[in-house]
Amino acid sequence: MSMITFRTVLKRSRTGQRLKEEDFDKTLSEELLKLTKKYEIEYNPERIIPSDNDLADRVFQAGLEFFLNLGVFCRDTGRIIKFTKEETISALNNAPHSLTFGMGKDERTMVYRDIEDQRDPFCAFTAVGQPVPENLFVKVAQSYAQEPLADTFSGPLIRTLEGEPIKSGDPSEVEAAIWNVLQLREASRRAGRPNIGMHDFISNAESTDAIIAATNPKFGALENDGVLVAATAEMKVDYERLKKVPYLLQSGHNIGSLFGPQLGGMGGGPESLAILLVSYHLLGVTVFQADWHISFPTHIHQACNTTSELLWVTSVYNQALSRNTHLLKMTCAYTAAGPCTEMVVYELIAHSAAATVSGADMDPAAVARNRLPERCSGMEARIAGETGHAVSRSRMNREEVNQLVKKLLPRYEEAIPQAPKGKKFSECYDLDTVTPTYEYVELYDKIKNEVILNA
Amino acid sequence: MINFKEMEKAIAELNKEKSMKLAKEAIKEGIDPSKAINEGFAKGLERVGVKFENLEYYLPQLIISADIMNKVLEIFQPHFKGEDESKITKGTIMLGTIEGDQHDIGKNIVKALFKASGFKVHDLGRDVPVKEFVERAKELNPDIIGVSALMSTTMARIPDLISELKEMDLRKQYKVMVGGAPVLPKWAEEIGADGYGENASAAVRVAEQLIDAKKEEG
Repeated sequence: MSMITFRTVLKRSRTGQRLKEEDFDKTLSEELLKLTKKYEIEYNPERIIPSDNDLADRVFQAGLEFFLNLGVFCRDTGRIIKFTKEETISALNNAPHSLTFGMGKDERTMVYRDIEDQRDPFCAFTAVGQPVPENLFVKVAQSYAQEPLADTFSGPLIRTLEGEPIKSGDPSEVEAAIWNVLQLREASRRAGRPNIGMHDFISNAESTDAIIAATNPKFGALENDGVLVAATAEMKVDYERLKKVPYLLQSGHNIGSLFGPQLGGMGGGPESLAILLVSYHLLGVTVFQADWHISFPTHIHQACNTTSELLWVTSVYNQALSRNTHLLKMTCAYTAAGPCTEMVVYELIAHSAAATVSGADMDPAAVARNRLPERCSGMEARIAGETGHAVSRSRMNREEVNQLVKKLLPRYEEAIPQAPKGKKFSECYDLDTVTPTYEYVELYDKIKNEVILNA
Repeated sequence: MINFKEMEKAIAELNKEKSMKLAKEAIKEGIDPSKAINEGFAKGLERVGVKFENLEYYLPQLIISADIMNKVLEIFQPHFKGEDESKITKGTIMLGTIEGDQHDIGKNIVKALFKASGFKVHDLGRDVPVKEFVERAKELNPDIIGVSALMSTTMARIPDLISELKEMDLRKQYKVMVGGAPVLPKWAEEIGADGYGENASAAVRVAEQLIDAKKEEG
């Protein structure tokens, strides 16, 4: 079978068909509409977690056809990178079935998960680059690394280093990237897990040179820590991000692909967004040569993914990929509410249950729409992780999770536009012991018990 | 006899042919172009905006509606009198993502909504250096410069634009709006921006207020 190498990808980015970017966008939205109709994909609010294998397979076929028809737009050359069906299937077949992070006692392996899989989901706990003050960075990161269910972790971000702004493309970015990995490793040591894997060890840098500088093992990154390569817009890549790939293929770091399309954006409604997300994974495995994949579809106006439509999307594209590939895939919960609120607990439980039963691993969580300073803590990751473990261990099936989610949605969905900001890390954690406050633990326990009774 | 409601409906339903046909008929009937636009087509665009807010329409439909409006304006263009253009456009905005930032999904949503809301938009694209913002502003003379960033490291370059405008003694000529995921209202105020929109719809409302303020300032 033919194999796609990165050199082939690069060559096609230089020789593929030229297209104006707006024409590519137009083709993308038309093609999605066409395939949604052709494969009869329909969002059903009564079935937030569908138990329909045929629907999952149709979404996969539509995603594959979309990927083959559209290709990937390279912004630097204005050309389309296309693959044949044989090449794409071969890339899927050759993708890893498992991936290891960390070393020694802290080593953890992510394995392919299927729908209704009874194995625990892999938990990559993360603050998703939420901004925090410099003096809180290590404590916030530690709050994730020390969680017993954390298989890997990553951190928040800082906007200034010793008071000076960190600016993309200037030397401060390189300095901040190195500082970032040093502090994350310090956080893991303080958590008593010195060799826990970091699935994304740089959140303070955007440019590739800064990221590469930070991978020097002297600073604390392990050889199998992860670096993420992102698409810049719907099915579009650029050389700045592609530059990471040849380096990572040689350095041995785990390559993660990252995509965050929006419901209501160029990807359209829930049905077409599910198709687009399948296609993004095919982009990840071919263009980025990724070992594993992280996706975080969000609502264009609400910047969260806990609405009915987005829970359906999360379930459907993960089911499609679980049934038709062995890709390692995780999804990140984006909540509207902030830490230490009842609403954030409901949102996290609903998202995690939907994702886990559909075969996804977990990357929780972006909280308070991922933009408010200090609104993040290891507790949100704990809530999501425990839910995922509970769903798999109690052998819940899709219909049971559907019923659960339908009970949870009325508790928070209408409040999404006015979701509470919640408490800052310094307000819901004891900063001396780096443990959640009694108030937060009690609030979580109360809702957990209520959900268990309802489930 | 021309019916403004039909114009509103045609654009709200994204019917390009019908919209263009109605624009041509309006000219034949000697209807004032600014009246046809303000009382007909622009109201249709408002309906498109509401549908987008409710997610009955998505970004591609928003872009289509703005394209239809452009076609309609092209038809009316030769028939505008001197003051007509200012009557039919709410104002001019120049947009771009700041240097280093390749992420333009948000900027493109804002662009589509500005267009669909009756603004004239100059899009400088993504990864735009501060000096280019300033040079293009001198050339295009927008009412508002809109600048966005998705990353905190690129957001840190936005204050450089405001400093550059001050240094060039151009700050008072333009209103500056900032936006993007990491941008918060407090920060926008701290760096001396004139406006901030939490999302695309809010950005349009703020821009309308800034245009009014600019007019009052004379």
